[in-house]
Amino acid sequence: MAETEHHSYLRAPVAGLLAWLVPGLGHIYLGDRSRGLVLLVAITATFWTGVAIGSVQATVAPHSRKLWFAAQLGSGGNAIAAYSLHRLVSPETATSPKQPVTANWLSAEVGVHYTGVAGLLNLLLVIDAIVRAERPTVSLRGRAWAKGVT
Amino acid sequence: MTLAALFTTGIELNGAQRLLLMLPLCLSIAVVYKTIRLDHLNELPKAAAALWGTIVAGMCAVGLGLWLLFQVMV
Repeated sequence: MAETEHHSYLRAPVAGLLAWLVPGLGHIYLGDRSRGLVLLVAITATFWTGVAIGSVQATVAPHSRKLWFAAQLGSGGNAIAAYSLHRLVSPETATSPKQPVTANWLSAEVGVHYTGVAGLLNLLLVIDAIVRAERPTVSLRGRAWAKGVT
Repeated sequence: MTLAALFTTGIELNGAQRLLLMLPLCLSIAVVYKTIRLDHLNELPKAAAALWGTIVAGMCAVGLGLWLLFQVMV
């Protein structure tokens, strides 16, 4: 009994954390594998398409695009990986407000929009994963294993 | 070209290409939103396509309205 209560208590924060780290992983953790995979592909493809369009130096730049970087951080692991790549290939622009010239400004703007929207969409997934974790029978209606969770 | 070079060299875009790239972004938004909202994922392609069409048509309508306003005012 005590073990079940402990499991239920951790379910929502773990689902939220996993959903933030890897888009869709929170849903996969909750047993909704196909939904999680669709979300994983959609968010990850959107984020990295943006990086490919604008270049990682011009799009994931916390010092020159502070608010956009805050939005990008919503996609957790993707943003961390992209910023790590930025630091790896161009350490001087990663830590200064100077705008790198790796793409024309149109490409950089489109790239920032893609990555920022991907981050904000992932925040929606985090909230959805937490809500589904607290009410498992709503999203996992009819699944036999869900009966034993609550 | 290595995988890293794909993400460290930007693509040169013009204005029209920039606008066209809003279409896949809207599709992504529609897919994610409908994936969260729908109870049954087999309805996803149809529902996401309908939402995508609505978003694109709405943006075109807003753009046309602003363009007409600009023509009248200037």
